[in-house]
Amino acid sequence: MRIPAIMAGMGMAALVLFSAASTLEARDDHLRALNALTLYAPEAAGDREYLGLDDEEEKISLGQIDAEILIVEIFSMYCPHCQKHAPDANKLFRVLDSRKDIRNKVKMIGIGVGNSRYEVGIFKDKYSSPFPMFDDRDSVALSTISGIYTPHYFALRIREGSIHEIVYSKSGAFPDAEAFLDMIVKESGIK
Amino acid sequence: MKMTFRAALLGGLIILLGAAVAPTVMARKDLIYDPGPLKATDSLLKVRVGEQAPDFTLKSLSGKTVSLSDYRGKNTVVVSFIPAAWTPACSDQWPGYNIAQDVFRKHNAVILGISTDNIPTLHAWTSQMGGLWFPVLSDFWPHGEAAAKYGVLRSDGMADRTIIIVDKKGKIRYIALHNINKRPPLEEIIHELEKIR
Repeated sequence: MRIPAIMAGMGMAALVLFSAASTLEARDDHLRALNALTLYAPEAAGDREYLGLDDEEEKISLGQIDAEILIVEIFSMYCPHCQKHAPDANKLFRVLDSRKDIRNKVKMIGIGVGNSRYEVGIFKDKYSSPFPMFDDRDSVALSTISGIYTPHYFALRIREGSIHEIVYSKSGAFPDAEAFLDMIVKESGIK
Repeated sequence: MKMTFRAALLGGLIILLGAAVAPTVMARKDLIYDPGPLKATDSLLKVRVGEQAPDFTLKSLSGKTVSLSDYRGKNTVVVSFIPAAWTPACSDQWPGYNIAQDVFRKHNAVILGISTDNIPTLHAWTSQMGGLWFPVLSDFWPHGEAAAKYGVLRSDGMADRTIIIVDKKGKIRYIALHNINKRPPLEEIIHELEKIR
């Protein structure tokens, strides 16, 4: 019994290590892709003020956003799971906005991957999404951020004008907005 | 020792269970079959803008039959031929139209979604989307008859990804034969509907 037990344990350990290595590799790729990404910024004055953008800036990189931690929902207006999840995404933003202790440090945006400005507008209007949403009219996000499914959430640590670290990255909807935000706050160590 | 083996087995099961549970929200996406890049178009249009649209009568998911002529004098009709259920671009196209119902309604337009898949397949596929507000019609048998009338039936039995806009008088106002591998932008359709008053 001793040998099978050891072999089973080693097999499990190998599985865990392989899985962890793959995750780290994907995060490195995503970090590079997200730092290289430039997108057309939302035009609404309220959105630009929230993100801390100058009036002149038409395209920006995510590192330019005035936040310590940036929560990014990668979605598509064509994705039925994103449509179903929209009320929960809105709730996440409202919960975040109600947290006076962190709302100036942790901010939230959406990126409509592969979506035109018009298509993102349809989604935003349909679900009354209160947080800034970027379009991907040139499909740069679609072509560079690989291996994810929509909706996908990133939490990015921003330092000195660039994305320093991916704190959180996972495809799929979250079941509870408050618990999700608590988890992001805990993972990021932000206070 | 038995306990050690059981503990290792239990640990393994927990890990495997974790791996199985984690992607459940993506499970439906995993059902999508990716055929890879296909020949962009593989048909020869038989209709032109300005001509009277050929009528067709097809079975819908609701069990009723629907004819293009049912909408004569009532609505502008956006005929959306898609190649195949459970494929990437097609699975992205109609759910987008689903949340734009108000925009189509504003232009007094309805969509008729047509595929050469059979009814059970279309039922399963659209159900996992959460349902669609517009009629979905099966052009399965006689296979591709409606698609062939418009000249959008491919040699592999699928329809080419095509948008045809028919006005209330039954006249074709717009035709776009799209690359089968890409989803047509929604604003292209809405822009054309804005021209029809």
